[in-house]
Amino acid sequence: MAEMIKSFRPYVTWANARGAWPDMIFSTRVRFARNLVGFPFPNRAEPRQLAEIRRQAMAAARDSGLFARGHFLKLEALGPLDKRFLVERHHVSHALAATVLAAGAAVSNDEDLSVMVNEEDHLRLQCLHSGFAIEGAFKAALKLDEALGRALPFAYGSRFGFLTACPTNTGTGMRVSCLAHLPALTRLGQMPQVLESLSHLGVTARGIYGEGTMVLGDFYQISNATCLGRTEEEFCQNIDRVIRNLIRQEIAAREALLKSPLKLRTEDAVYRALGLLRHARTLSYEEFMQNVSLVRMGAAMGWNMGHDFSTFNQVTLLMQPAHIQAAAGRELDPAERDAFRAELLRKKLA
Amino acid sequence: MLCEECRKQNAAVFLKLAVNNKVKELHLCPACAAKKGMSFGLESGAFNISDIVGNMSGYFKDFLPPERKTLRCGACGLKYSEFKESGRLGCPDCYAGFEPQLTELMARIHGSALHTGRAYADAPELKLSKAETARRLAELRAELRDAVTREDFEGAARLRDALKRLEGRRG
Repeated sequence: MAEMIKSFRPYVTWANARGAWPDMIFSTRVRFARNLVGFPFPNRAEPRQLAEIRRQAMAAARDSGLFARGHFLKLEALGPLDKRFLVERHHVSHALAATVLAAGAAVSNDEDLSVMVNEEDHLRLQCLHSGFAIEGAFKAALKLDEALGRALPFAYGSRFGFLTACPTNTGTGMRVSCLAHLPALTRLGQMPQVLESLSHLGVTARGIYGEGTMVLGDFYQISNATCLGRTEEEFCQNIDRVIRNLIRQEIAAREALLKSPLKLRTEDAVYRALGLLRHARTLSYEEFMQNVSLVRMGAAMGWNMGHDFSTFNQVTLLMQPAHIQAAAGRELDPAERDAFRAELLRKKLA
Repeated sequence: MLCEECRKQNAAVFLKLAVNNKVKELHLCPACAAKKGMSFGLESGAFNISDIVGNMSGYFKDFLPPERKTLRCGACGLKYSEFKESGRLGCPDCYAGFEPQLTELMARIHGSALHTGRAYADAPELKLSKAETARRLAELRAELRDAVTREDFEGAARLRDALKRLEGRRG
């Protein structure tokens, strides 16, 4: 089993359910896209330029003091399971994990901060906080941005702001996102209208691991759709407003599910899901996500699910494929994984 | 239910994606699902979205004004036509090279073409140590020799400019 995974914590603070609205907002993320002056963007850079960019970025991260006892990773040195683990921890994107040349990542000791090197842009800096925490995550990400910006010359122009490989990120280079859990709206079949209304508010919804990923367990990543023409604070305020509104809509949807004639069906679905999670002998990740979604909703409705959101968040993190293999201490094929997942979950929910 | 892709096999894989703020549902047979390029396997949640909504670059193509074919970035050499194809710029200097076109594009994507967020004032003046400068100069000279040997004169001109800039900084 890979040494890298062993050096990571078994569990992370950004999933501890201690932030605001833990029943609906799993975590909040703020990221900045940054590039260095004097180098082509990664898609057009030479191998040795990519290596040089990574050297400078890693040195700047180390010198910032924000990554004390943290992780400094060269992705070509890692196996597929390690990379998959980093994706599941939201430190590395699928795109970076698939990058062949000079891809890197720095992750802080508490795993709140990370830097991806040589993905679409030279640097992607991010901060992850627990629950609904836009202001806190923004301030911490900004601190990281300023520390690295003092050490490295960022590509910037007064007209377009921070210059990025894709014009959709130009300007602030900032994306603020909340991982929102919206099971009641989904159950009522209202998500299509909700998503449609979001597009008029300058906001985008994506799947659980970001761009181009599936919607699993009714989790949606909600983020600003544009990056230019408003201040960072204005973009944050807009997302803040949209999320608060979504929270209100989800609460209203829960209330609708609790009124007859839907109440009995809702209750039945939730307790069946709880039974399945507690007693299944083999459980795929998707099936886990579908059912934990209902159980989380039950807990949010005030029913006794035997555990609180900190446990549900923890198992949501731990049931992912690479985490399951990390817990088993060895690589497992999908069938073995499903059996081990069911066994581990029974222990966690006992 | 038949697979939506091949319309021959029975659909066994059910996928739900959020694309352009719409929930899209797909029913595929295992073979077609595998062909869609799920590099980490189904349970990872990764999916090649361009297969479903068409390439993102189409988005840029429709938005961008047509340009004379020869327009290219003076620094990295990226052709404007290449940018239209890929939707990705080549280097920070492309923003100056394609400024009028990008101004129009930015207004369409972001609803504005002017940055009003944080200014980046305390940029370090690319301060390089003597050793670092010497190393980069040596690298550039080697690349220049290569370019001349290859008879890549455009590349050589760019490298010569870069050399001048770096030498100027040292002086």
